[in-house]
Amino acid sequence: MKASIGWLLFAILIFPGLFFTGVLGLIVGWLDRKVSARVQYRVGPPFSQNFNDFFKLLGKETIIVRNGIHSLFVIAPLVALGSTVLIATLVGITLFQWLGVANDFGDLIVIMYLMMVFSVMVILGGSASGNVYSSLGAGREIKLLLADELAFILVCLVAVIKAGYTFRLDAILATQQAQGMFIASPSGAIAFIVGLLCLQAKMTLPPFHISEAETEIVEGPLMEYSGPLLGFWKLSQAMLWVALPFLLIALFLGGFTVEGYGILWSLLKYVGIVVVMILIKNTNPRIRIDTALHFFWKILTPLAFLATILAVLGV
Amino acid sequence: MVSNLTLIVAIPLIIGLVNLCLPRVLQKLLTIAGLAYLLYLVYLIYKGGGEAAHLYGSVIFAVDKLSLFVLIFIQVLSFIILIFALKSIVPSDERFFFPLFSFTVSFCNGAVITTNSIIFLVFWGLSGVVLYLFGLIPRTDAASQSAKKTFVLVGGSDVFLILGLILVWFLNPKAGWGLWNTQIGLEGELAYIAFFSILIPAFAKAGGFPLHTWVPEFAKDAPIESVALLPAALDKLLGIYLLARLMFNLFQVTLTMHLLVITLGALTVIFAVMMAMIQHNGRRLLGYHAVSQVGYMIMGVGTGNPIALLGGLFHMVNHTMYKAGLFLTLGSVEKKTGTAELDDIGGLGKQMPLTFIAAVVCAFAISGIPPLNGFYSKWLVYQGTLELIQSVGRGAQIWLLICLMLAVFGSALTLASFMKFLHSIYLGRRQEKWAGIKEASPNQYLATLGLALLCLIFGLWAQPLPLAKFITPILADFGLNPAAYLGSYQPIPVLLLFGVIFILGLLVFVAIKKVRYDAIYLGGMEALEKFRIAGTDFYNEIKDMKPLRWFYRNAERKHFDVYDLGGQGAGWFTKLFQAVHRGILSEYNLWIVLGTLVIIGVIYWLV
Repeated sequence: MKASIGWLLFAILIFPGLFFTGVLGLIVGWLDRKVSARVQYRVGPPFSQNFNDFFKLLGKETIIVRNGIHSLFVIAPLVALGSTVLIATLVGITLFQWLGVANDFGDLIVIMYLMMVFSVMVILGGSASGNVYSSLGAGREIKLLLADELAFILVCLVAVIKAGYTFRLDAILATQQAQGMFIASPSGAIAFIVGLLCLQAKMTLPPFHISEAETEIVEGPLMEYSGPLLGFWKLSQAMLWVALPFLLIALFLGGFTVEGYGILWSLLKYVGIVVVMILIKNTNPRIRIDTALHFFWKILTPLAFLATILAVLGV
Repeated sequence: MVSNLTLIVAIPLIIGLVNLCLPRVLQKLLTIAGLAYLLYLVYLIYKGGGEAAHLYGSVIFAVDKLSLFVLIFIQVLSFIILIFALKSIVPSDERFFFPLFSFTVSFCNGAVITTNSIIFLVFWGLSGVVLYLFGLIPRTDAASQSAKKTFVLVGGSDVFLILGLILVWFLNPKAGWGLWNTQIGLEGELAYIAFFSILIPAFAKAGGFPLHTWVPEFAKDAPIESVALLPAALDKLLGIYLLARLMFNLFQVTLTMHLLVITLGALTVIFAVMMAMIQHNGRRLLGYHAVSQVGYMIMGVGTGNPIALLGGLFHMVNHTMYKAGLFLTLGSVEKKTGTAELDDIGGLGKQMPLTFIAAVVCAFAISGIPPLNGFYSKWLVYQGTLELIQSVGRGAQIWLLICLMLAVFGSALTLASFMKFLHSIYLGRRQEKWAGIKEASPNQYLATLGLALLCLIFGLWAQPLPLAKFITPILADFGLNPAAYLGSYQPIPVLLLFGVIFILGLLVFVAIKKVRYDAIYLGGMEALEKFRIAGTDFYNEIKDMKPLRWFYRNAERKHFDVYDLGGQGAGWFTKLFQAVHRGILSEYNLWIVLGTLVIIGVIYWLV
């Protein structure tokens, strides 16, 4: 079905785009803080805390570094926000096909490349200020991208192979609806675990928050940001909590169903992934960038490669 | 009446010859007028005015869809680069630069429109000679070393081309010296020797692994406009043009050869980009990328199915645009700062905003960020590879998947390397000594922004513009039917969706509009210049990582360089002969007798 402009606007602005992803992302952000607090024997913030934070940032003053490149400094968080919403929409349109929005958009290669845009903007925006901490963080951000990208490509390839060699996300989903979730096979299970750890790094969550490293380089690339621009960064990061787990669900957990108990089952998939990520986040200290490279290139990549070979063999 | 095809070769040749004895101002005027006329000629040829040119009754120049496609982009690219060069060459070098420029265009045009393999050989060889002469322009020791290396690799590979074309004639004498349609089956040793003999010059010219080592050296020392013209643009067009002829017209290629070429392509991507990442010199960095991107073209053309071929050829023109753009932006910076060492520059984005924008767009395009052109062509190449994977056995499937993985990862590495490039030149902290730098001259930023704009246009309207107008028709010439894509990507809706959010965010920011300007915040520390991060050391962790450390160390000592290995081999042979050369007459007699016996034996064996 060809999508009308109205549908597309609805998709990008309301569902599954900006509004839905933003609200859900901020709620998950609250969940993150609450679970973290419980792990550390604290009470944690109230439900509305993340919304309050975001709207408060919108009302604050923006400080721009006088000697920096102003336009790039302003544009970077907006591009990051746009690309994050775009990923969420592309994945979401495919996941929620029953909405009737044309699903001619979910291409895995496009999504993989769009996912790099976020890191690129973190680097460009951060170093546009000329702050030395931002430059340090930028260097780490790009190394982290390199670290997880290789394993992540293989993870995606596993789904591509199992779906009969196609990059179309809807075809990958359709195969799973016909043959069961990919995670149920050995190759799918390995790829899912590796993929989950890759997400952890892609979202720069602990133990991979090397580029922001608050205690060491003071949030690195985001250091000079304030006001609405910082709000946009935080909103994009919250949205990644939706977009990336959704992608993993589409690739290995067979997407969402909305009939009867299917809703609960769908919810469980998502919340399950999120809680596992929060727990990993809370139980691991920050590692160094060379350790991260080592971990991803020498441990996870061979594992993911094994999964690829198993997938080719049909296991 | 003289054919347009003859004119498109003859006019630049004549201009070049006349230019050798004209004053500088007239030189420029004549060259730009000539190239503008060539653009008009190529438009006429595109509109159907490309009737074949004959010499002594046989066709020498003709166009089919492939050569037309390459011809168009030779004119477009050389015209844009010429605009840049008008006011950027060191005055003392202009005397030779502009004549060489016209010669280059003439020879490249000749090589792509001739149907005769001997004439092709002449033009191909001459285009290598002008490359060498460009390399000599700076008249430094380093430059002449690089030029020599270039000449040995590119010119040396022409020997193989001669052998290959003779063998092609021998294998299929009915086609005469035809280059465009021999369709020799790959059977028997001779056919394989011929195949590889033509593959080698194509790789050497385009810069494919392992014959790529001249590109970064040449890029480092030659005038940057000539680097943008030849290794970045026209050599890619020529090399991949020959590869396409080889894979589709000259031979009926077997699956094993497809796999071999794809593997070489993937290795080109990954090795070159790994080397690019650790470079400290901007020109060498771009030079290694000029190699790495060839890998995608080789993969695309080597895969041999319609989608991959579309991708490979599309990537070829895309590469010429963004790589020429990147070299030229670096050129603009270099003219201002006098250096291409990334450690020394930094923070110029505010002073050279237009050059910066062009560099960012081209860097995004080469890294394959949607919706730019580099992404579209890579996307096609990946699909083509995936389609081939569907139809082969399991062993080959795993092999091809590794190649695919390396290619996809290659673009992440490219992105990383360009983050370093952009950071080191335009971002981060500026050094005080560069405070007085201003934007490049209008002809320079018009050229670079023009290339960046082309990257954007070819990315957004990839399907209706370059693919439908120029590239898809080639498939029919090669007897292929366009196949359905294995993915779904529409650049314009994707950009619009993105744009909605971007503009919304911008409106919110502008509506709030509480902005204050302040100095950098360093937590109370003083912002000293010695704390500057140049960005060149971003990848030291990767350089020092265990198996890679060995690789990098040996690569920096040129232990993997065909040129140096060849030099060592030649040295070894010389030593051997030196040892034999002892000046004792009776020993010489013995050698003569032994040699005669060997020759008799060979003749006996042959007959």
